[in-house]
Amino acid sequence: MNSHEEDELQRLASEYVLGTLELAERLEVEQRLPLDAALRDAVDAWERRLHPLAALAPPETPSAQLWPRISASLFTPQAVRQAGGWQAWWNSLAFWRILAGGGLLASAALAVLVSVQLQAPAGPGYLVVLVAPQDKSPGWVVQAGGRGGKGRDLNLIPLGPTSVPQQKALQFWTKGKDWGAPVSLGLVKPGQSVKLPLDKLPPLQPDQLFEITLEPETGSPTGRPTGPVLYIGRAVKVM
Amino acid sequence: MPAQAAPYDYEAALRACARGEQQALHGLYQQEARYLLGVALRIVRQRALAEDVLHDAFLSIWRRAGSFDATRGTGKGWIYVVVRHQALNVARARAHEVSADEDSVETLLHQRQGHDAGDAYALQADMGRLHDCLGHLDDAKRNSILYAYVDGCSHSEIAQRLQAPLGTVKAWVKRGLAALRECMG
Repeated sequence: MNSHEEDELQRLASEYVLGTLELAERLEVEQRLPLDAALRDAVDAWERRLHPLAALAPPETPSAQLWPRISASLFTPQAVRQAGGWQAWWNSLAFWRILAGGGLLASAALAVLVSVQLQAPAGPGYLVVLVAPQDKSPGWVVQAGGRGGKGRDLNLIPLGPTSVPQQKALQFWTKGKDWGAPVSLGLVKPGQSVKLPLDKLPPLQPDQLFEITLEPETGSPTGRPTGPVLYIGRAVKVM
Repeated sequence: MPAQAAPYDYEAALRACARGEQQALHGLYQQEARYLLGVALRIVRQRALAEDVLHDAFLSIWRRAGSFDATRGTGKGWIYVVVRHQALNVARARAHEVSADEDSVETLLHQRQGHDAGDAYALQADMGRLHDCLGHLDDAKRNSILYAYVDGCSHSEIAQRLQAPLGTVKAWVKRGLAALRECMG
């Protein structure tokens, strides 16, 4: 390793431990950690160096309900053994609290929690929560690659019903950072899951935009979104 | 003189968790939850959210106890790592959510609580080598590091607190960390 690479490694490791990395870089480090021994050693060393600072936070007594909550989450059947997948974030209170707080990038929180809780080795995947632009209520989830072994599909999963006026349809789109225009992923039916083979799509990238718009019954006549955006979200890479 | 209690054995507790002994996790919780909640609260700044962080972190600790490797650090250190990074991830994800206005109001409220990480540092001399090495840094670099580690501040939040340009703060953090590494080895 040359000195420039060593500096960059130290920067990443130290600022990861310190907490000053941006979300995307944090996720990147967490993804690399299981695979990159040099980075892991550097992070461990920084954790040891800075750990004494944790004593500066004044203690806070947890509420009486906290342990029963933890105990119920862990030691009731079902939720226990499936330490990953949908269960992990579905059960994550912090995630839902953030989501309820609203925000277009709720998907970031989702990815974070998933990446934290899924330590089992698995290929990289993407997750997106599509939310309504007005009230940020989540409507659909997109999951692609990653866990689940084969994982060569992109799944669009409804979280609830979507009402569609007569002679209108929902159209699913995606747009990468440098793409000139969104690409149609086809029409989708309200309340129904859709599975698309990943190899028929352009390669997914972090921050890739996904959205569902309201279009004429047979789809957008122009090949680009013409109607209002009903749900929108960005892809976040997860382990 | 009361008899000195045997020090709590974090590594043994994690090994027991890895074997599926629920009592061990509860013991760990009883031993450490108030300190861990303190750490999480400073970072996420809302009590309900901090309790959620601890909830999720204890789930992680239980599930990942088997992956704890005593050759890479102490059991106690490992537990704090899980909690801190859970809190930081939530704080960073949340930063995307909270509007600038809300954020600055919260920062102000937070500052008014009085417990400044810099002050706390001055009172706390038992951090060994780290304390000495932090002492060699100038105030700006030291406070930048303390605000980040203890209060979970991003670069821009530090810039706001220290009323310094963002680029300057980034340089302080980077140089401060490099100096610490030099000093501590």
